[in-house]
Amino acid sequence: MSLVGSSNPEYVVARVRARRGMLYSTEEYRKLTRMSPSEIARFMEESTYEAEINALGSRHGGVDLIEYALNANLAKQFEEVLDWSEGELYDLIVRYLRKFDAGNVKTVIRGIYTDAGREAIETDLIRAGEFDDRLIRRLLEAESIEAVVEILEGTIYGEPLAAAYEEYEETDVLVPLENAVDRAFYEQLLGNLPRGEPVRQYETFLKAEIDFRNADNALRLARSGAEIDPAEYFIDGGELFDRDTLARLARDLDELVEYIADSDYADELGPALRELEEADSLIAFEHATDTALLTYGDKLGTMHPVSVTPVISYILAKEREVENIRAIARGKEAGLSATEIEEELVIT
Amino acid sequence: MIETANELGHVAMQEGEVFIEADTAAALSVGIAALAAGYAERGIGAAAVGAMAEDEDLFVNGLILTVLPETIVILALVVVFIV
Repeated sequence: MSLVGSSNPEYVVARVRARRGMLYSTEEYRKLTRMSPSEIARFMEESTYEAEINALGSRHGGVDLIEYALNANLAKQFEEVLDWSEGELYDLIVRYLRKFDAGNVKTVIRGIYTDAGREAIETDLIRAGEFDDRLIRRLLEAESIEAVVEILEGTIYGEPLAAAYEEYEETDVLVPLENAVDRAFYEQLLGNLPRGEPVRQYETFLKAEIDFRNADNALRLARSGAEIDPAEYFIDGGELFDRDTLARLARDLDELVEYIADSDYADELGPALRELEEADSLIAFEHATDTALLTYGDKLGTMHPVSVTPVISYILAKEREVENIRAIARGKEAGLSATEIEEELVIT
Repeated sequence: MIETANELGHVAMQEGEVFIEADTAAALSVGIAALAAGYAERGIGAAAVGAMAEDEDLFVNGLILTVLPETIVILALVVVFIV
C-alpha cells in the first residue's frame, strides 16, 4: 500500500467485468432450455467451463457432469477473485464468500453423521471460500464430528461449534451444530465494516439478504405449522425483523404476509406475496427474493465503478448462472418442457 | 476586489520583489502535471492490465487509454515555451 492507496480495486474490477461479460445471456439460456443434458455439457465445453468439463468428463456423465463442472468452475472463479484482491477489498469479498466455507463445514459434518464415504463428501464440497486445501484435506480426513470441531479451532467457527458440540452430544441431532455454523457466518458478515459510501451499499445488500432469509424461514415455519421455536432460526443483523417480531409473526401466516407487504420491500415482493396468498406457493416468493437481490446486485455494479460493489455484483450473477444451468439440466432430466424450465429460471 | 488586487500587483511590481522566478514556475507546472498524470495512470494501468489478463486483444486499447493522461504533461510543457 502506498501513500495514495493501492490500485488493486481497479485491477480486480477490470478483470471481474470482463468475466461478467462472458456470462450466459438470455438468448443462450433460451438455447440451453431446448437442449438435452449431453448437448448442454457440449455447449458448456465451448465456453468458460471448458477446463472443468474436460477434467471431469472421464469420471462423470450426464447431469452429474454438468453439476460438478458448475461447482468446480464456480469455486475456481471465486478463488481467483480472492487471489487478485488484497487489503480492504479482500476483507469485504471474503465476508460474503465465507458462506461456502460454512456450507463445506456443514457438508462434512453431515457426511460424517450419515457415514458417507470420503469420496462422496469431497465431490459435494465447493471450494470457493477462505479455507485452503490443507484445511479441507484435514476436514475430509476427520473420523468423527469431534475431530472436525477440533480442526476448526482457531477459525471463526471454532468457538461456536465447540459450544454447540455439547448440545449435540446430549441430543444427537445436527441442528445445534448447523445453527452454530450459520450464526458464526452471519456474525462476521456485518461486523466491523469499514466506512465509505460503497461499503454502505454493500451493507444494505447484505441486510436485505438476511431479511429475505429470515422471511423465507418464517414463511416456511408459518405454513408448516411445525412446533419449532422460530427464534432458533432467527438470523441477527437484518432490518426487517428482530427476534421477538419474528417469533410472534411465524405463528400466523396472514399477519406475517401483511407485515412483509407493509415493509420497505413491498415494491419488490408485493406481487409474489399476492401470489402466495392466492396459490399458496412459496416458490414464487423465493424467486421474488432472488430476483430482488439480483436486480439490486446489478444496480450495485454501476453506482460505484471502482469499489467492492461490482465484484459482489459479479459474484451474485455468477452464482445465479450456475443455479440457472443446474435448474435447466435437472429440469431436462426430469422431463420438463422448455417453457416449464424457463419459468424456473431467474433472469434479469 | 479586483481593483485591490490590481493595486496590490502594482505595489509588488514597483517594489521589484518577485515571489517566484518565471522559469521556476514553469518547471513546477511541468513537474506537478507529471505527478498528476502518474496518479491518473496508476489506476488506468492497473485496470488495463486486468483487462488484458482476461483478453489479450485489449492490449492496444489498454495501452492507449493508459497513456492518455500523458496529454496533461504535454499541455504543461507548452507553458515552458511561453514564459
